[in-house]
Amino acid sequence: MADLENKSRRDFLSFAGKAGLTTLVAQAVGVNLGVVDIVRAQTGIRGVEPFRFAIISDAHLYSIDNHKFDEQLIAAVAQVNAMNPKPDFVLFGGDVAQNGTEDQLVKGKKILSALEMPMKVIPGEHDWYLDMGEAWRGLFGDETWSFDHKGVHFIGLNSILVKDFWTGAGLSPKERMTVMEMLESPIPGPWGVHEKQLEWLANDVKNLAPDTPVVVFTHSPLWDYYPRWNFQTSDAPEIREILAKFDNVMSYHGHVHQTLYNRIGNMSSVAAMSTSWPWPYPPVALAYPETQMNRADPSIATDGQGTQVIDLSGDFEGLVQYKPFEDSLTPFMKDGFKV
Amino acid sequence: MIAASKKTRQLVSIMAAGSAIAIAGAALARAPFTEQELEQQMDSLYAAAQQGYDIWHGSLPSTTTNGLACANCHPDTAASNPQTFPKYMTMYGKVVPWQEMVNWCIENPQLGTRLDPNSDEMTAMKAYAMYLHRGKPIEPGLASRQTTPVVVEFGTGFKREPTGLGIDTREYQP
Repeated sequence: MADLENKSRRDFLSFAGKAGLTTLVAQAVGVNLGVVDIVRAQTGIRGVEPFRFAIISDAHLYSIDNHKFDEQLIAAVAQVNAMNPKPDFVLFGGDVAQNGTEDQLVKGKKILSALEMPMKVIPGEHDWYLDMGEAWRGLFGDETWSFDHKGVHFIGLNSILVKDFWTGAGLSPKERMTVMEMLESPIPGPWGVHEKQLEWLANDVKNLAPDTPVVVFTHSPLWDYYPRWNFQTSDAPEIREILAKFDNVMSYHGHVHQTLYNRIGNMSSVAAMSTSWPWPYPPVALAYPETQMNRADPSIATDGQGTQVIDLSGDFEGLVQYKPFEDSLTPFMKDGFKV
Repeated sequence: MIAASKKTRQLVSIMAAGSAIAIAGAALARAPFTEQELEQQMDSLYAAAQQGYDIWHGSLPSTTTNGLACANCHPDTAASNPQTFPKYMTMYGKVVPWQEMVNWCIENPQLGTRLDPNSDEMTAMKAYAMYLHRGKPIEPGLASRQTTPVVVEFGTGFKREPTGLGIDTREYQP
């Protein structure tokens, strides 16, 4: 069994590292690689200065004082602060609140303010649909952003926008929120980033060269995983099209509360564990089933939850390591994997 | 001689059982259910599933003191594995029925008050979970094994009047 897992791990790593290896072999035999690849061979892709960043996601804080989810987010913050080396910054993947109330968002911001490094945040549906993001924006700023760090272009998008189902029906903000809180809600349908953000994104990357290292961060995955639970982003194909010109794009997302990897074209996709509760894997086949975590043991309250840290190398290779609170990872996942 | 008499007793008891079935069969014989009756029976099941669905999503305040409901961790009843019980659960150290596992979740992650395992409420929850696992093999199994429910394409996954809100407009087709 251990041999099988090791073999499958080797195959997986070799698959993930294949593009890099091809480049190396081609260089060794002196194949003409073109201008871009020669630049890369000399300096690494656009000269990324190696660094690490961490992801915390899906805290789902309730209004109740001393709720166990408060403690779990506090534990996640402590875990990231204790990482050695320290991450340069932290991305928070959305759903800091459960019911979108201001007290929950404020509580989340207060707990997250104990982070010893800067943080960038995107919203989840649980943060948004009570007041359509008003309190969230007041506390966390714009939900659509980009910045450059040590040679890498980071993009954050709000991926949880749905078509208006409430105005015509005369639903109250609380009723709207209740509809959106349910993962398997029959009402809202698939969500996405919508036209304005697509335009913003196209404009944001317009002048970037194809060898720019790009990381895109959303609440939901940028591929069709299980639309029933909004394990999807409806306009992900358009997002991938806009980002298709880049050599390598890394997508990181929250929402699914589980370990998960996928790859589509030039984009790798990695999910974050939550700090609140683990979600089961839905009834669909995975392209990389070896990246699943163990079935969480319900008798261990913090099993299947945790944080994650990504080390980016000089040639924009990412080492993804999940850092669960408990022993939740299969042997395959224990040492992390490369994207 | 002793063996023979044992055999005779067994034979007699089997015959007695057979004739009892024959008599009962004759006494209870009736026409098959009409289409309308069958539909009513299924509607009763869907009504129970609806009640179970509501409780699953937090309609029964006694089952939680921290805001959590079954659906937090088990959307569409996923990973509730009703078709694998009774099975050994580590928290009990013995084989327990599914209803007991539900009560464990109510009392521990949800910090609520357990339900009577024979109550209509518990039966409704089981009706919901079992309906969403219809056709799945009955597999008494290990606690570490996660199975999946059926794929739900729209609505609640069972017959119910659509709300008409958003995309919830389709009638259920069994």
